[in-house]
Amino acid sequence: MKGSYLGELEELILLTVGALFDEAYGVAVMDEIEKQTGRSMNVSAAHAVLRRLEEKGYVTSRMGGATNERGGRRKRYFTLTAVGKKALDESFAFRNELYKRIPKIAFNFSL
Amino acid sequence: MKQLSPPKWADKFLRWYCNPDLLEEIEGDIYEIFEREAAVDTQKARRRFIWNVLRFFRWANIKRTNSNYKANQMGLIKNYFTVGFRNLSKNWGISLINILGLSVAIGMGIAIFIFVDMQTHMDDFHSNRKNIYQLINHVKTENSTAMWADAPLLIGPDLVDKHAGVDNVVRVEFQYGNMRFGDNVFSELVSFVDPALLKVFDFPIKYGDVNALENKSYVVIGKNIAEKYFGQENPMGRDVSIKYSNGLIQNYTVGAVMDKTPDKASFSFEIMVPIDNFFDLKLEDHYDWSYATDAIFIEMKDGHQPQELEETFNGFVALQNQTSSKWPIEQFEMVPLSQLALRSFEIDGSISGAGHPAGRIGLSVVASMLVLLACFNYMNISVTAATRRLKEIAMRKVIGGNRRQIIYQFILENIILCTLALALGTVMSYYFFLPGLNTMIPITIPFEFSSFPMLIAFFGGLLLFIGLVSGAYPAFYVSKFQPTSIFRGNEKLGSKNVFSKILLGFQFFFAISTIIACFVFTDNAIYQAEKDWGYNPKGIISMPLVEASDFRALRDAANKNTSVLSYAGSNYHVARANKLTKAEVLDKEVKTYAFHVGENYMETMGFRLKEGRFFGDSKAADQSGSIIVTEMFVEKAGWGDAIGQQVTYDSTRYTVVGVVENFMCNAFYDEMLPSVFTAAPEEDFNYFVVKTAAGNEKGLDEYFASAWTGIAPNDPYNSKYQVDVFDYFFKENQGNIVIISFISGLAIVLACLGLFGLLGFSIQSRKKEFGIRKVLGADATQIIRIASKQYFWTILIAFLLGAPAGAFLITQMINAIYPDPKQTTALPFILAMGIVLVTTAVTVASQVTKATSVNPVQTLRSE
Repeated sequence: MKGSYLGELEELILLTVGALFDEAYGVAVMDEIEKQTGRSMNVSAAHAVLRRLEEKGYVTSRMGGATNERGGRRKRYFTLTAVGKKALDESFAFRNELYKRIPKIAFNFSL
Repeated sequence: MKQLSPPKWADKFLRWYCNPDLLEEIEGDIYEIFEREAAVDTQKARRRFIWNVLRFFRWANIKRTNSNYKANQMGLIKNYFTVGFRNLSKNWGISLINILGLSVAIGMGIAIFIFVDMQTHMDDFHSNRKNIYQLINHVKTENSTAMWADAPLLIGPDLVDKHAGVDNVVRVEFQYGNMRFGDNVFSELVSFVDPALLKVFDFPIKYGDVNALENKSYVVIGKNIAEKYFGQENPMGRDVSIKYSNGLIQNYTVGAVMDKTPDKASFSFEIMVPIDNFFDLKLEDHYDWSYATDAIFIEMKDGHQPQELEETFNGFVALQNQTSSKWPIEQFEMVPLSQLALRSFEIDGSISGAGHPAGRIGLSVVASMLVLLACFNYMNISVTAATRRLKEIAMRKVIGGNRRQIIYQFILENIILCTLALALGTVMSYYFFLPGLNTMIPITIPFEFSSFPMLIAFFGGLLLFIGLVSGAYPAFYVSKFQPTSIFRGNEKLGSKNVFSKILLGFQFFFAISTIIACFVFTDNAIYQAEKDWGYNPKGIISMPLVEASDFRALRDAANKNTSVLSYAGSNYHVARANKLTKAEVLDKEVKTYAFHVGENYMETMGFRLKEGRFFGDSKAADQSGSIIVTEMFVEKAGWGDAIGQQVTYDSTRYTVVGVVENFMCNAFYDEMLPSVFTAAPEEDFNYFVVKTAAGNEKGLDEYFASAWTGIAPNDPYNSKYQVDVFDYFFKENQGNIVIISFISGLAIVLACLGLFGLLGFSIQSRKKEFGIRKVLGADATQIIRIASKQYFWTILIAFLLGAPAGAFLITQMINAIYPDPKQTTALPFILAMGIVLVTTAVTVASQVTKATSVNPVQTLRSE
């Protein structure tokens, strides 16, 4: 189905949203990705991907409460949906399946 | 602690573009990053903030208007077309006038644009044009520096060996020569050129190839020359001879024939021979640095700049200054081929002729004025026409149309009309204006643009400009009204519209000033055409002589012909060859023309003696010591009694024996100067002048032409009727009159069309008022007065301002062109005003009769 395909960055961000659980908003996601993978990304890219994931139904979002940080502006928090979880599972299973099918001999690098 | 804040403008920009639904989270995130980083490095944080704002500027985040309208858009546009078309057909007469007026102005604008476009892109058919330069000299004379095209002959092709950056050097030396093929003999301008010329320039070749000039005995001729001498035959391989000023005759074989010179060529060469032949002529013993040839072109190699030659040229300057102290060159300048035509007006002796930029600027200004006038017209009529659509506008607003939609509607309608006018204007320009312009100027302008982007830019720009200028005002104006006041009838649009009166006033101002200019100019031209020349040119034919023996032979021929009334020989001849010189009188120098004449010259030409006598016969004692002067000479010399006064001229002392009436030596471009006549012996004659009864010229001309072939077969017979000597001037005057009358005619027609349209609408909307007035007893004159009162003052003011403005401008122009203009009289003003008054009156009358013929019963019964 068109649109259900999960891109590499999308998958990474979806995983991060899941990992951060209740604290997943734009800057946090960006920081987490940088921390975990060492790749730096612009916050606008994080926003774009998060919105795309929401459109696909893999995450939902809600506005948080106002705080003293960031001039009182609220954050938009993202949480994983069941569909998102399923997409992650499928992706994980698919990769696992492929990995398992690699013959042992392929890992023998001493040849 | 310093207040930490991100750049304000970036934040504003974000707020401006960002979709409000997304703004809070995006701004929040950017702020959070900023706050975090500002704790470390404020500058970096600010930079990062700006960068983030820019990165968020993407399609998904940009604010968009609600797209709910989209579904309806096509229907709405279709409705615009329908309504627009209905409006057009309802007022088809005025719409037609409107579109026609605009088309004529556009057509004229296009023709002039093409003309100017071509003039500014001359010579661009030469593919190497970027590398070709002409060597121009800055020569210092007594008190000023002049630019000359003439450059030292010694700068020749050996420059190519001296300098790595130079690809080719082409010298051009002009000499007049009499070219002969069989019985065809004409005086021609021969160009001695370096053989590389045909390779450097891309003049199209019909027969032969670019190597033709490598052969010293070859001549390369242009298409016109080929037809003139050989007719329809192929001239390749034919032998021609050319006789030069020193009497030497050189024989050549036609080695190549050029095709038609491109219209865009600002210079071309009709007869080319290799320059080695010029050295063979030995016009001078040897050529040093003081000899300047007519033009030198230098072609640089790709990637080389003319500045590289500077040092070499400085060396040339030193060499040249040593040999030529009277004509010292200050510096050389390499003028690129692309600028040659544009700058030709400031370069003396330039071989490239593209005319003075004043003409181009003047024409462009006039063209833009006309287009602007037509736009004003259009605007005026559109505003007035829109007043009849107020209810439609109000309905649209009530139903939910916003102001922007109404503006779109009006501008769309306008752009469609303008496209129509543009198309029509292009057709007019193609079939009428450009061919018309071509008949008035010596060059031919093809209907084409210098480049495709130029064409797109011009037509696109024109359409946008006209569409917006003529459509924007009505659109913004009428869309502003409130529906309630329209329905209540409170909006009286057009009746008190100051803006439309100003536009109308401006149109009339322009029309009146051009008409006055036209009449003053024509008046001056008539004066020039009718002006007495100071002698009787009727029946006089003159022909230049080449050999001294020609005179005796012609004299014998003249004696045998009974229709010859008298004949004479002369050195220099009035109007065909004037010698400008100075004569000394006591302590004064008088700038004067001088003619050295033979027996009977004065009588043959019909000069009018005021005092004293003409020269006696050739045996008279006063042959060498007498001089005849004009009245103006007497005046300049400051003599009371002229006879017997002494004049020193050409280091000889003369005594004045006669005074003749002033006469015209030149057409009206040059100021009138005094003239002197001295007697000359037969050997000096270079003109033969013969007089016959008016009407017999043609037969006599043919008689001498056939006699000439026997006398001097190598020289051309080049006779001219004396009455025709200023023809070139009168032709030019004629052309100018046509152009200026056309412009002023167009201006008055446009202005009257505007008035016609405005009055028409105003009378239409006041029909009921006139009906009531009639019922109450108003007579026709009262109604006419009321109907035309509205625009009376506007036109009067335009009149009062336009008449002096036009008169002032045209007299300034005439005074600048002609040193001896006619004193401006009242007649042209009266005529011009009469014409404007009559046309205006006819326009007003044609509309006002509608008001007077109103039948109250009909107009009041409707509704």
